[in-house]
Amino acid sequence: MAVARSRRGAEFRLGFGAVRFLYLALFLLFVLAPLYWVVVTSIKPTSDYLAIPPVWFPAEPTLVHYTAALFAYRGFAGLINSVIVASATTVLSALLGTLMGYSLARFNTGGSHLSFWVLSQRFLPPIAIVLPVFLLYRGWGLYDTRIGLILIYTVITLPLSVWMMYAYFRQLPKEMEEAALVDGCTRFGAFWRVALPLAGPGIVVAAVFAFIFVWTEFFFALNLTSRNAFTLPTIFRSFLGFQASQYGEASALAVTSLVPSIILGMLVQRHLVRGLTLGAVQG
Amino acid sequence: MADGVSVNGITARRSARTTAASSWAERHIGWLLVAPAVVLILALTIYPLIYSVWVAFVNYDFEIPGHAFVGLQNFRQVIADPIARWSLLNTAILSVACVAVEFLLGLMLALAMVKPFRGRALIMPILIVPLFISPVIVGQFWSLLLQQPYGPTNYLLSKLLGTPVQISWLTQTPWNFIAIVTADVWQWTPFMFVILLAGLTSIAPELFEAAELDGATPWETFRHVTLPLLTPIILLAITFRLLDAVKLFDVIYVMTGGGPGSSTYTASFYLYQIGFQQFHLSKATAGSWIFLILSAIIIAVLVRRLLRPEVR
Repeated sequence: MAVARSRRGAEFRLGFGAVRFLYLALFLLFVLAPLYWVVVTSIKPTSDYLAIPPVWFPAEPTLVHYTAALFAYRGFAGLINSVIVASATTVLSALLGTLMGYSLARFNTGGSHLSFWVLSQRFLPPIAIVLPVFLLYRGWGLYDTRIGLILIYTVITLPLSVWMMYAYFRQLPKEMEEAALVDGCTRFGAFWRVALPLAGPGIVVAAVFAFIFVWTEFFFALNLTSRNAFTLPTIFRSFLGFQASQYGEASALAVTSLVPSIILGMLVQRHLVRGLTLGAVQG
Repeated sequence: MADGVSVNGITARRSARTTAASSWAERHIGWLLVAPAVVLILALTIYPLIYSVWVAFVNYDFEIPGHAFVGLQNFRQVIADPIARWSLLNTAILSVACVAVEFLLGLMLALAMVKPFRGRALIMPILIVPLFISPVIVGQFWSLLLQQPYGPTNYLLSKLLGTPVQISWLTQTPWNFIAIVTADVWQWTPFMFVILLAGLTSIAPELFEAAELDGATPWETFRHVTLPLLTPIILLAITFRLLDAVKLFDVIYVMTGGGPGSSTYTASFYLYQIGFQQFHLSKATAGSWIFLILSAIIIAVLVRRLLRPEVR
């Protein structure tokens, strides 16, 4: 009986193995198809767009769409804005997030109320925030400025930075800080000179996640900027209901935008689960 | 000499003051470290939310000077708007559909990837790539692939089925819904996958070995060992994903523009249309408060029930 059962199990396992690899292969195809298509579209000459059957790879690849996307569609200006806004947000969010994360982890400031209050910000519907912020920004002169965008993005990424650093500091032993206190260090000194250097790797990971978030964000940038502070993703509104003649530019812009965030994403791959769940799950 | 004394006196007083200040800082260090972040959140989410309560009760219009108090009129307008109700229903249908498909595909991926095999380290980075791409670009991808008549999807389907397929994926119901779900599933299945994979990896291998020794089939092992142990993390993954899925906007904006008509409106898209396209700012704000309260109920139920035991 047991033998029959285990044989049945072995057959099942063999079949399961085949299904498993078939499924993986199909899913890989599903993931790669759009990526392949956008890259190929970005290097096709315009005459290839209206072909049936579709052109799977252009006979004469071209880079003209990249120059058009960057200069005719102001992609370059968007790129500069995205770099500035994402970098500044990252620094600010990592700094404030580290201070608060440390305080929550070491002094239990505000108890669980404060930490969950910060976490709950993560789940607010963006539309509920962006409407009043739009009106206030118009009055404060922050509408369509990089500073306005940096400030709102810092707030939006704070739950991520705070919770990731909170989780990071909690698993850092506090003996060294206690030793520094005994040696006459102030509490801030113990944080600044002892804990902070040890937290370096954690800060980098939190910062990279904040950067990727800002780099790929669309909704706030769409509604809080127009002709000056617009970021790379918002340029895609020029391609709405787009004509075949714009396929190349749209694709070239997409490729330009996705390469940096994918590279950064690969760097923090090991920490992905913590990043996605704000440190709630240890990956 | 007298000068020296007075200088010393000042130094002493100054150092006394710094000592007092630093001991005050020392006692309140926790709140001092928290302050910058909290102040910024108060200024840019809590204050705007309070301000928006006022906006929701007046008639805020760029064209009309002054902000006349109108009571609940804005709320009544939204509730009476059939498009608003349709958008809310759409949000529920689309987010549940997306999350359900993502969960199933993600769980299968996690099960397929949990045991090491040759090439696993190569596949892993490819599977998570969609997480690092802007949703607008993902919408763009699928617009290109599904384009009619020159896109590759219809062409390949025609070849595969042997009959000409001419589906207008972006303008024809129900295909536009399928297109939207496909784009969302493409982007977020990896989210489910990596979290569930982390959950699977954390299950002690002895449990599987014990089940195997007892002669359990893989299905029985999955049903009675894997699933129960995985439940907390499944709930966490679904909660996180669902709370983001109800905000669905970018993909709609790029792929269908809410159309045809208002058939693919979601709550966020509807409120965006009312507020930022038609500039009925007060009506949109009132609507966003209704949406916020509905979301808060979901958050209260899901996060409290499901996350509390999980989050330490």
